[in-house]
Amino acid sequence: MTKHTEVRVKFGGMMAIAALLMCCFAIATHAAEINVPATITAGSGLTIPSSGTGSATLYVVGPGTAIKRTVQLGQEIQLSADELQNAGRYVISLDGSSATFFVTAGPVQSIAFLARPSRVPADTPNIVTGTAFVFDKYQNLVLQPQPVKFELTVNGQTASRTETTKSGVAFAKLDSSRKEGPAQFVASSGSASVRRVVQEVASDPCSIRMTAVRDKNGILARTDPIHDCAGNPVPDGTIVTFTSTDAKGKSTVDARIKQGIAEAELPASTGATISVASGVVVGNEIQWRGAQ
Amino acid sequence: MKSVLPAGLTLAALAALALVCPMPHSVLAASTPSIAISVEHATPREIEETTQKVLTRDYATAWQTMTEALDQNRADLLSANFIGTADDKLTATIQEQTKAGLHQHITDHGHSVAAVFYSPEGSAIELHDTAHLQIDVMDGSKVVHTENATVHYVTLLTAAENSWKVRVLEAVPGF
Repeated sequence: MTKHTEVRVKFGGMMAIAALLMCCFAIATHAAEINVPATITAGSGLTIPSSGTGSATLYVVGPGTAIKRTVQLGQEIQLSADELQNAGRYVISLDGSSATFFVTAGPVQSIAFLARPSRVPADTPNIVTGTAFVFDKYQNLVLQPQPVKFELTVNGQTASRTETTKSGVAFAKLDSSRKEGPAQFVASSGSASVRRVVQEVASDPCSIRMTAVRDKNGILARTDPIHDCAGNPVPDGTIVTFTSTDAKGKSTVDARIKQGIAEAELPASTGATISVASGVVVGNEIQWRGAQ
Repeated sequence: MKSVLPAGLTLAALAALALVCPMPHSVLAASTPSIAISVEHATPREIEETTQKVLTRDYATAWQTMTEALDQNRADLLSANFIGTADDKLTATIQEQTKAGLHQHITDHGHSVAAVFYSPEGSAIELHDTAHLQIDVMDGSKVVHTENATVHYVTLLTAAENSWKVRVLEAVPGF
């Protein structure tokens, strides 16, 4: 054999080995292929076809799941609904090959509802806010757009608005009603509904009117019943300030509303100006003469 | 010269000890990942600068914690940064991993995050997170799956006493 022939034989042998290796690699790659859908719905389970013979180890790792199981190749592999109930990304590995798929949330089953504030003045625009997060029965955030209805009802008056979720969340701002009272604030989507109570109270007084009379210790100033501009009585405990100004100086008394009215005893005077106010609302003024 | 020699021996002994003895947990801990959060598109409420800083810090810490917890199968690490559904699901993952003898080694190459929702009363923030991760699924010391992946997450954080905690963490096919 010449040197050239020897080289050709060696080269031919190497090519044959390389071809054999490539062929084996191709067979191995083909045998390990995993076919899974890109997405499935939470809790629906999955059947995966497998090829080849003998047994292999199946691995599945995802949210709330970590499976290591021996399976028979050539048979269908079952992943149960319980094993695939959490939304997210799953990795599946079998016989040296891997694939990924996503589990997405099912229909809306529950709502996490944030309602603020718990106490609001009546007859005020955009004062009540509601935020709703929608979840399926496995507590997966439902990311597909869903309509959410927000309803605020007090004393038979209802304000409502429907918003569509974006990335699992919807929110609305609603006006408080003209009448005070406990308002039922409800968020609903599909079969899910959640209720919160928002206490609507009278807002600032609309006007304050007082009268003054002499009594044995000085001057007794007293308001008429105090209401907000929607006619709701201003809550007891609200501070009303009475001020008397005369030649000797100024006297101020802070009094709380009790049963709808406020009163204060001011020092006796032969000539004084008496005024009344609550918050930013100023009431009438009385020019007191000693004879009154 | 006399004083140099014992010092050199001590250093050599310490180096040898470091090779033989297991390193403390704090040394093994994963580093805090890089998190870039944009807040320009958050609605209906604007995110204040201070909130953005705290959010970035807490979200990075949450990822660091999760990475360690999934690698070491330690659910006890989670409660400092996770709450509610996210805590429950991660705890379940770790319990199942422990049963199966598996763990996940995640190398975190950083996150591009957009805040998309900040609730009017300031108690909840939703993020869209694009994470660049190397994920190794391990059966004991054997790697059964490895990949470099870009994973999209929808994350809901709620305000706790003095931090933000992750309440929902869901990987999604896209935004």
